[in-house]
Amino acid sequence: MDKVCCCLEVDTHVIVTGVMSLYAHKKQQQHKMNYVPGTASLIDDIDKKHLVLLRDGRTLIGYLRSIDQFANLVFHQTVERIHVGKKFGDIPRGIFIVRGENVVLLGEIDMDKPCDTVLQQVSIEEILEEQRLQQQAKQETEKVKMQVLKDRGLSIPKADNLDEY
Amino acid sequence: MFRFQSLNEDCMLEEEDDGLIEDEDEIDQFNDDTFGAGAIDDDWQEEHKRLAELDERDELGAGLGFGGGGMGGDSDLSTSERPSSTRIPSSVVHPPPPSSLASLSFSSSSSRLPPSDVEDRVGEGDLAESLARLILDADPAIAGVGAAERPGLPPGSSGSGLSALRGLDQPRVLPQPSPILPPTQPHQHPQHQLPPGLPASGLPPSSMLSYQQQQHLLRRGTAPMGQMSSHSIWENSMGFGPVSVTPGLLTHMEDNPLMSIIKEVGHPKRAPQGRNDEDLSERAPPPRSSSPVIGSPPVRAVPIGTPPKQPMSHALNHQNSPLCRGPFPPRVGPVLSQIQRAQLLNSQVAGFPRGGPPPLLPGGGGFRPFFGGPPPPHGHRMGPPPPHGPPNHAPPLRHNTTHLHPQHRRMLTQRMQSRGGDRRPGMDRRSRDPYSNLMTQKEKEWVTKIQMMQLQSTDPYLDDYYYQNYYEKMEKRQEKEQDSSKKEHTTKLITPQVAKVEHTYRPVQFAGSLGKLTVSSVNNPRKMIDAVVTTRSDDEEKREKQVWNKRRQILYTVEKMYSLLLEVQDFEKCFVQAPEEDREALLEQHKSNTEQLCSSLREKEWDDRVSDEQCVMIMSVRKGKRLISRLLPFLPSMQAAAVVMAIARNLPALAKKDKQDQVLCWLVEPVSAVIQSLSSASLTDLLQELQGSEGQLATVLHNKFGVTLLYVILSEGERMQSSDPNCQLMDDNRWTELVFSVTRELLSVPSSSLSPPLFTPPNLLSLFSRYVDRQRLELLQDKLQISALSR
Repeated sequence: MDKVCCCLEVDTHVIVTGVMSLYAHKKQQQHKMNYVPGTASLIDDIDKKHLVLLRDGRTLIGYLRSIDQFANLVFHQTVERIHVGKKFGDIPRGIFIVRGENVVLLGEIDMDKPCDTVLQQVSIEEILEEQRLQQQAKQETEKVKMQVLKDRGLSIPKADNLDEY
Repeated sequence: MFRFQSLNEDCMLEEEDDGLIEDEDEIDQFNDDTFGAGAIDDDWQEEHKRLAELDERDELGAGLGFGGGGMGGDSDLSTSERPSSTRIPSSVVHPPPPSSLASLSFSSSSSRLPPSDVEDRVGEGDLAESLARLILDADPAIAGVGAAERPGLPPGSSGSGLSALRGLDQPRVLPQPSPILPPTQPHQHPQHQLPPGLPASGLPPSSMLSYQQQQHLLRRGTAPMGQMSSHSIWENSMGFGPVSVTPGLLTHMEDNPLMSIIKEVGHPKRAPQGRNDEDLSERAPPPRSSSPVIGSPPVRAVPIGTPPKQPMSHALNHQNSPLCRGPFPPRVGPVLSQIQRAQLLNSQVAGFPRGGPPPLLPGGGGFRPFFGGPPPPHGHRMGPPPPHGPPNHAPPLRHNTTHLHPQHRRMLTQRMQSRGGDRRPGMDRRSRDPYSNLMTQKEKEWVTKIQMMQLQSTDPYLDDYYYQNYYEKMEKRQEKEQDSSKKEHTTKLITPQVAKVEHTYRPVQFAGSLGKLTVSSVNNPRKMIDAVVTTRSDDEEKREKQVWNKRRQILYTVEKMYSLLLEVQDFEKCFVQAPEEDREALLEQHKSNTEQLCSSLREKEWDDRVSDEQCVMIMSVRKGKRLISRLLPFLPSMQAAAVVMAIARNLPALAKKDKQDQVLCWLVEPVSAVIQSLSSASLTDLLQELQGSEGQLATVLHNKFGVTLLYVILSEGERMQSSDPNCQLMDDNRWTELVFSVTRELLSVPSSSLSPPLFTPPNLLSLFSRYVDRQRLELLQDKLQISALSR
């Protein structure tokens, strides 16, 4: 094991830096597995393609590049995937930093597994249009429901940000 | 930024000069006010001359920057007066090569010199350069790292300036929002840093800047400057200031991990060693007297959440390639000493046991998170060393798994090995990914270290109860399966525990002074307000709240009893684990706990009997019922019997209160256990209690628990009778009569109101057969759905 020891002089104090082992590089390979056994750690997920579902309902797919102790995630070559019915569309987003508390779930995408999905990919414009239509339809039904309830003298509070409370 | 160049032509220097000369004294006064009397004592003019001489040594073709306001400019800063400094031809002003253009514009913009006279700029450039030389000479450690300080660079111009610098090899220039530090040479020595120890000199010479600029500088500069000097007080090397990264830099990020370091860390500011000591000693207030734990936490210029910098080897490698390429003087020494130092200090502060003692873990042999560092002291090692190999080339997994159960570790290694083969295809792909390993090994370790630190605990049975219990159970199971010959597999789990250090706060006291200072910090927060609890003795209010208070009282009692109960329950575990000396004390503790538990069931201290009311009160709450069910096994038999009696006696009331919770059935098991230990007389009493007054039995039968209880009692009676023919159960007629009445009730009660029990004891039928005739027996059978098979 080759080691390099560096001594630095800082003002009048001599601080011996940590032993730098040159095989740290090699270690990196070995460390692929299970950095924190006994607990869950995202370390092993780094540089792999992931799908993350956020609290606001967005789905992001990207390469997980970096994490921190709060599970804040840094995604690279991120794509936001919008699903409407059986169609989906990808919007390239670039680099995303997601605050850990907003993650609902996160899963690795298995690149090797054959993709046999019934979903059909469409263009961005189309999927956005579809999404808009879906939102519209939902709002319509919601409105009707509220009206009906109002007629009966009932009211249900809007579940807009229920998540927050 | 180009406007400076255009103004160049206008040459308003003369007017400016006059104004500036007058203001120079004011500026100096400002200096002193801002930075203290000891800010700078040196004669900056002398200094400048020296620097100017240094400057001559360097011949740099490409334009030079004179990042504005060179150090200590004379008031008469026309180039002619300083022939030595005027090396740079005026032609430089009109930038020929793009790089020099870039540097020029950059520097000029950074200098914010409106009346940029050629000579002036040149002069300043000289100053800057010479100053930079001085610094380099004084402390080669500073040389390579980071950026030139640019005074008060407006972000826009800096951005453009930087992007202009893209052509340069060395994108080490970072604009600094704090304007105070004097500008340095731009692209030639972009990594020059100006020492914070020259704050006044950091102020651009008055003659160089217009008054407005100076004011601007001062205003903007005061805060960061103050910060800077304070940094130098505590920790020279940690004097990292805020850095604003401009977009232009981002292009360099990928190929320059060094930049990312600087981005994170900021510019290490350091006074040149020459002037360090005297200045600092004059300026510094007495250091904080608190220990790291009791008092304030150590000052970190880098916030606590910051991940480590690039590993040193990594950085060193990068040092060699880019640096050697650029037009840098060979003098540029080890680039990373600052960074190394920063890392060190960072890691030290974070409790990383690399250098000095970890400040947060005093006390001999506290557990150290040791991550890639030297292995921890053996005393805290986990059981026997892992079965797979000597420590030297143990799999990396070892370091993180000190406090894992050996069973667990074994499982993990097995898992690892099995998965080792699968990794290869994935790894190839990853190695081809150009963006891989953006997160360095060190950073990964850092995150893991934090996660592991969270696993440390002073009391694993408290903090990690389920984990410990789970593995204990597994262990027990394994023990049962394996014979005792394979002893080595069953190893005890020795969890390393962080030493519990008691910190008592003793207020800081200076010798000879009256009283003590109370230094409030994160570790010992100071009580700011003396809140006195006053109970309002309003009678009316009391009456109103009586009901509410009563419930609270109950809940409070339940809580207290629960904690006692938990301690009693854990006693055995602790006892086994405790060393010999402690066992006595534990035993004592245990006894007293049990005592307390019992006494809490009594209403009054002197009354030995278990209080019915108290029991019922406790059981009116869901948690209370749970409590009683858990408590019963621990009570002495007399008391337990009394409790069961109380339950039976008050069953209707309890049943009513339980309507919402429906948890009375929790009591079945412990109560059955108690019943089975009852004597026949008590059993009879119990049955009597259960029947109680008129109609009670009906209610009892209506309730699931009641029915079950009844059945249990009867079953127990039957067992007694059948097992021991001489049992006293039949001695008086009570039992028989009671059973008769029970059967009567059972028959008369409508099926709908008869609640199905939790379970039906098998010997009920035999019991009934003793007392009732065949016809009734059959009826009973049908009603209660007791199968004849039990016979």
